[in-house]
Amino acid sequence: MLSFIILMSLVICFSAILALALNFQWGLGGMINFGLAGLYALGAYACAILILKLNINFFWSTILSMLLVSLVCALISIVTLRVSEEDYFAIVTLGVGEMLRLIALNEDWLTGGALGLTGIPRPLSDSIPADIYIYVFLATYVFILLICIFLLNIIARSAFGRSMRAIREDDVVAVTLGKNLLWTRARIFAVGGLLIGLAGSMHAFYYQYIDPTQFSNIVVAYAIMAVIAGGKGSHFGVVIGSILIMILLEGSRFLKEIIPGLGSDQLSAVRIIIIGVGLILVLIYKPNGFVKEYRLNA
Amino acid sequence: MQIIFNGFVTGIVVTLPALAITLLFGVLKFPNFAVGSMLTLAAYIVFTFNVLFGLSLLFSTIITAIIFGFLLILIDQLTFAKLRGSSSITLMVCSLGLGFVLENIARLMYGNNAKSFAIELARPFLFMDIRMNREQIVTIIVSTIAMIFMYVLLKHMPIGRAMRAVSDNPSLSLVRGIDSPLIIKWTWFISGALLTIGGVLIGMDRAIEPPMGSSYLIVIFAAAILGGLGSPLGAFVGSLIIGIVSELSTLVIPPNYRIGIPLAVIALILIFRPQGIFGKPNIKK
Amino acid sequence: MINERNRRKTIKTIGAVAASPIYMPFLNLAHAQGSTIPIGVALPMTGNAGAYGPDMAEAAKRTTELINRSGGILGGRKLQLYIEDSESSASVAANLTQKFINVHKCQSLVGYWGTPEGLSSRPIAIQNKVVLMVSSAANSITEGDTQGYVWRFQMKATDWGTVIGRSLQKMGYKSVGVMGLQNAFILPIMRSVEDQMRDSGRTVTDSLIYNPEQPSYRAEVQRIFGKKPEVVCCFSLLPDFVSIMKEVYRGGFTSKVVSLSIAADSEGKFLQAVGPQVAEGIRHFQPMPDTSSSGYKRFTKLMGAPESKLFLFPPNTHDQIAVTALAMERAKSVQAVDWAKQIINVCNGPGEKVDDIVEALKLVRAGKPVNFEGAGSTCDFTNSGDQLGRGMGQWIVENGKNNFVSYEKP
Repeated sequence: MLSFIILMSLVICFSAILALALNFQWGLGGMINFGLAGLYALGAYACAILILKLNINFFWSTILSMLLVSLVCALISIVTLRVSEEDYFAIVTLGVGEMLRLIALNEDWLTGGALGLTGIPRPLSDSIPADIYIYVFLATYVFILLICIFLLNIIARSAFGRSMRAIREDDVVAVTLGKNLLWTRARIFAVGGLLIGLAGSMHAFYYQYIDPTQFSNIVVAYAIMAVIAGGKGSHFGVVIGSILIMILLEGSRFLKEIIPGLGSDQLSAVRIIIIGVGLILVLIYKPNGFVKEYRLNA
Repeated sequence: MQIIFNGFVTGIVVTLPALAITLLFGVLKFPNFAVGSMLTLAAYIVFTFNVLFGLSLLFSTIITAIIFGFLLILIDQLTFAKLRGSSSITLMVCSLGLGFVLENIARLMYGNNAKSFAIELARPFLFMDIRMNREQIVTIIVSTIAMIFMYVLLKHMPIGRAMRAVSDNPSLSLVRGIDSPLIIKWTWFISGALLTIGGVLIGMDRAIEPPMGSSYLIVIFAAAILGGLGSPLGAFVGSLIIGIVSELSTLVIPPNYRIGIPLAVIALILIFRPQGIFGKPNIKK
Repeated sequence: MINERNRRKTIKTIGAVAASPIYMPFLNLAHAQGSTIPIGVALPMTGNAGAYGPDMAEAAKRTTELINRSGGILGGRKLQLYIEDSESSASVAANLTQKFINVHKCQSLVGYWGTPEGLSSRPIAIQNKVVLMVSSAANSITEGDTQGYVWRFQMKATDWGTVIGRSLQKMGYKSVGVMGLQNAFILPIMRSVEDQMRDSGRTVTDSLIYNPEQPSYRAEVQRIFGKKPEVVCCFSLLPDFVSIMKEVYRGGFTSKVVSLSIAADSEGKFLQAVGPQVAEGIRHFQPMPDTSSSGYKRFTKLMGAPESKLFLFPPNTHDQIAVTALAMERAKSVQAVDWAKQIINVCNGPGEKVDDIVEALKLVRAGKPVNFEGAGSTCDFTNSGDQLGRGMGQWIVENGKNNFVSYEKP
């Protein structure tokens, strides 16, 4: 049982980072990223391809994939936000996410296509003895998560953070006050992109095998749930939200034993319905989540 | 030439959902990401009447259109109504969640397997060297009639004028005595009818299965944006352009990437003419 | 102050409610340790392979009940199944595999219909020294050193292509168009067929791959069928095949169509969806159990179905459970390190050929040698874990019925 908890904790670590990315872009920046699944895939595939095909070590592969996703995010925001309409932005991100998934699925010379990429080595798995490796791995992942939260908190409390919140609240006023709208938004989205790339790389190292089926759109629903359950804007709350979602997902597998007569295929549909309904309910009744956002006292 | 006709048919299938999106956006001010699943669910309900109860396709469609219209009003009351006035992001996220719920309700009730309506499939005939068949003709006629009807509704009938008023300026229309919540209900009802017909046309074109509608999401949005969100004529023209261009593109790019066309269209429109062909520039107040 | 309290209370309540199902496995563990033997079953119930999972799960359940009813194994211990939805996803399957191993303490993992699920779970199974029995076709699953822990209850993908290609040649087709779904097991089949046809001097007029869940397949159909090859190999799964064939029919194309039974039959669902006219003349292939074998007939009875019903995949799960039980009984141990070595022993023999699992168990308990013949195949394995002796069936749809044509081996 302990090993299972360790493994689930590892998954929670990078799922939480993904949710933090969404939270940063949406909760703090006011930009919803429906293409999260595709960008997540981009991070995972970039890292895996760099390691497997170009033999770059794990550290630089991770960093480079983070920069790549960040760059793509910046491009998306620059191209789209000229219009500064949130609605179109969401549609564009959805489209880009789909394109990325299609590329992952079809370009098998690069990505292995439907077969995916196998044999991704875990960092330092040669150097660290096997019996303590999983604990070191877990400690590293938790450490990375804490660093992310720490850095995000610093950003949120900085001048940049104040710009972000000003723009989120009312962008017309913010612009008249001299905040550069487009540039700030691009930076916000790019920072989120760094986190998405990081989460993708961590995903690749954990599963050691990636293929397109792992990055379907339900990922976005889970991340959104984690963000709004935890409280838009609060970083620590997002982590708690991720833990809750993970428990809910794994726990709901046991619904079968409680509700007789429910076929397994129907059960999975029911689980997703519960997630969707839960998402809607939390949006309606608890829009600020359960943990408060940091605000400077007025 | 055949390719252009194919594109025409591909596009016309999307006009009604694009119109529904454009109407909903005009009145409710947010793009509805659940529209794909709504198409799917409507198609399944028609399937129930058509195949399981044995009624004719036409009759099933009519019954479903009415039922679905009310269903959408109910869904709206339970979800979006409670969020009226929230930012459009909140509404979009809500619609995303709703999309998952509806798609999986369909999956729960009907299973994963592909189904079809109980209609005779027809062999094609040649007309001026272009292959077409009866269903495609039906699709074209039905869509065009629906479009004309909507055009007349919006331009000349009181309900249409009210919808346009609410779409342009909600607060002013309230002052003028237009009952906004009622208009919203009407909008959902009409959208429900449009989505039902659209779902049937799509279901005729291919197989009915739970992910059916969602695969059209990008195409529908592209069509509506290209034509101009809020303009019905735009939805019509936009869908046709997207359809034809997508099919023509297969001459130069591999067919499995042709979903990139609607995307590219969205990106280009946003860069050069965000209001689409027929839309009005949106000035933030 | 009050807000703080409320907030904490809310979080605690939600946490408790959400976490309460987590206690369930602890309740189950009491059983697992003592008397029952846990087996993990991962099958696609949702996702693009969702159509195939439920029947396979049913087969596993009935087989387990049969074994338990007739005395279980290892001195009366009963098998206990943990059936979960792999959602046609590699990462979900990997998580399930971890759960089966670490929470339920399974030493045998069965089901695993899709290639991604098998590929992602393979390293986990090998690392933890538990047996993984898959029902997927892609060659890579058994490649490399599996240390005897990975066993394939299906025909290898390249073999499918061999049989299909040979049949096409026998039918005298000179030109073929090929289209396939972007999917891990379909691609090797496609390539294999194309290579076969080219090597024997036939023309491949065009070949393309399409994505799942596309809004329309009109352009693909136009391109492949428009070149008017004599026959088109359309390797799909059910939903896309329905859309494609309707398109072909409405387009009035005349090329003959060859496909796989999981698309063109899918236990009658294809015919139901398109009707007899569209399906007329389609030939389809599928690795199939030898339906004339007594093992298969016994299986159909177990499932409560008429002898004529064709089950493509469920016999594999029956065999997986049966082989697990036999090997464990032979090794007198539930630990995979012990019984994995016995799989070849109980499946290939030498020994008395028997296809009734209850009889086979009796023999093994009495210490006698046995050669188990399964429902899905003769269950003879190579050392690398691939099954021998599987054959492929060929059918043609005529007048709304699937007519059996031939049964061939690669």
